[in-house]
Amino acid sequence: MKRIHNLFAAGAATAALAGANPAQAAGTLAGTLIQNTANATFSSGTSTSTIQSNTVTVKVDQLIGVAVTTLTSTPVTIGTAPAVLIYQVTNTGNGPDTFDLTGAPNVSGNQFNATLQTVAIDTNGNGVYDAGVDTVITNGAASQTLAPDASIKVFLLASSPTTATDTQTSQVRLTAVSVIGSGTPGALFAGKGTAGVDAVVGTSGGTANALANLIASLANVTLTKSAVVADPYGGTNPVPGALVTYSIVAHVAGSGTAGSLTVTDAFPTGTTYQANSMTLGGTALTDTADADAGTASATGITVTLGSVAGGTADKTIAFKVKIN
Amino acid sequence: MRTFSRNVMTAMVILVASPVLALAAPGAVALDSSIKLDKITTVNGQTTHEFVAPQKVVPGNHLLFVTQYRNTSDKPVDHFVVTNPVPSPVALESVGADNFEVSVDGGKSWGKLAQLTVTKPGAAMRAAQDADVTTVRWVIPVIAPGASGTLQYHAVVR
Repeated sequence: MKRIHNLFAAGAATAALAGANPAQAAGTLAGTLIQNTANATFSSGTSTSTIQSNTVTVKVDQLIGVAVTTLTSTPVTIGTAPAVLIYQVTNTGNGPDTFDLTGAPNVSGNQFNATLQTVAIDTNGNGVYDAGVDTVITNGAASQTLAPDASIKVFLLASSPTTATDTQTSQVRLTAVSVIGSGTPGALFAGKGTAGVDAVVGTSGGTANALANLIASLANVTLTKSAVVADPYGGTNPVPGALVTYSIVAHVAGSGTAGSLTVTDAFPTGTTYQANSMTLGGTALTDTADADAGTASATGITVTLGSVAGGTADKTIAFKVKIN
Repeated sequence: MRTFSRNVMTAMVILVASPVLALAAPGAVALDSSIKLDKITTVNGQTTHEFVAPQKVVPGNHLLFVTQYRNTSDKPVDHFVVTNPVPSPVALESVGADNFEVSVDGGKSWGKLAQLTVTKPGAAMRAAQDADVTTVRWVIPVIAPGASGTLQYHAVVR
């Protein structure tokens, strides 16, 4: 038997006949009745007759379908702050369905595995994670009910493990599974569809997933300390009365930013700090806690460098003590 | 046109048709409708079609709409015209469509699909496609007393 099966043509036809039946990418809605009644006219002798057949009714069952796509196409940088990965979950079935949403940061091939912090549904539909606005769900919990063709955006918030190093990459998977049922395409879930119709697993198997990419953007901070001694006799011997100038060079490398970078150093025992001798990049800092970055206490100095992007010029801190 | 063995057909009717058969005919022809599911199985690259009672029907499934007629009288019946609206949830498929006339405007005009055009509001006139068909009809010049036949069209669930 020769048949032409062209599902694409059927889909296009749906759009073409939008007036006759609402256009649904997901197809005819579950529960729709397909009815067949034939009419006939004929003549017999001089009389003309009109007859009608019985009406056969077939109810359209629910086809379970789901699609997941990643809306963050380029790798999302992950540093000290959590990365927000955005996915879209679409009900490609022809009836309302809910989907269990599971984020999984452990994906084969990852250079590091992020830590999943939050799974949230984009409640206000703006495509941006709004803490306190978007609905946070337990990982693996179900979405709200999605109408056929309807989609939601899902956020996975992932944080970087301490073991990650700059420019390492990782993937995080979001999986959506139909609550009605999943499994081999064609599997039947009797009576589980909308309004009690049967539900049939579609080609998706009732589950779908997508991967979003992360790239670590971290900063490495290196502190290098050195000392220059000037004794009272014009030499460089560490004798009582000698002045020691300590220099601490803060070097920030990597593509990320070191946030709230603070350098502290304690005065060595047996020395006396020389008041207001702190400098940052050659500029003097006062000892008091004020507008400048430096503070000196009885025991040591603290210099607040704040956010320092990797690759910026080294920050050199210096201060003087006198050997007792 | 495909034909079915009488036994199989009877079984189908019992399964899918409402218990009320054709309305009392003022004339002398019995008309019976049924819907079958084209169950497609592919084994080792060989595709087979089995027409079964539609236990589960989902978008993309292929259906066979069947109308059986039988002249129940002892007189011939002339100019027998069977009109079968295509339900909106399905789209006609071209297989076997050469055997009947189609309408894309609810039965106002008729012809072979290739002769018909469609004009949608705001769009240019175009050739009609299978999915545009709203109604199909068969014209049978004469049915001898006791003679019967089967009329059918294929459609896919949108």
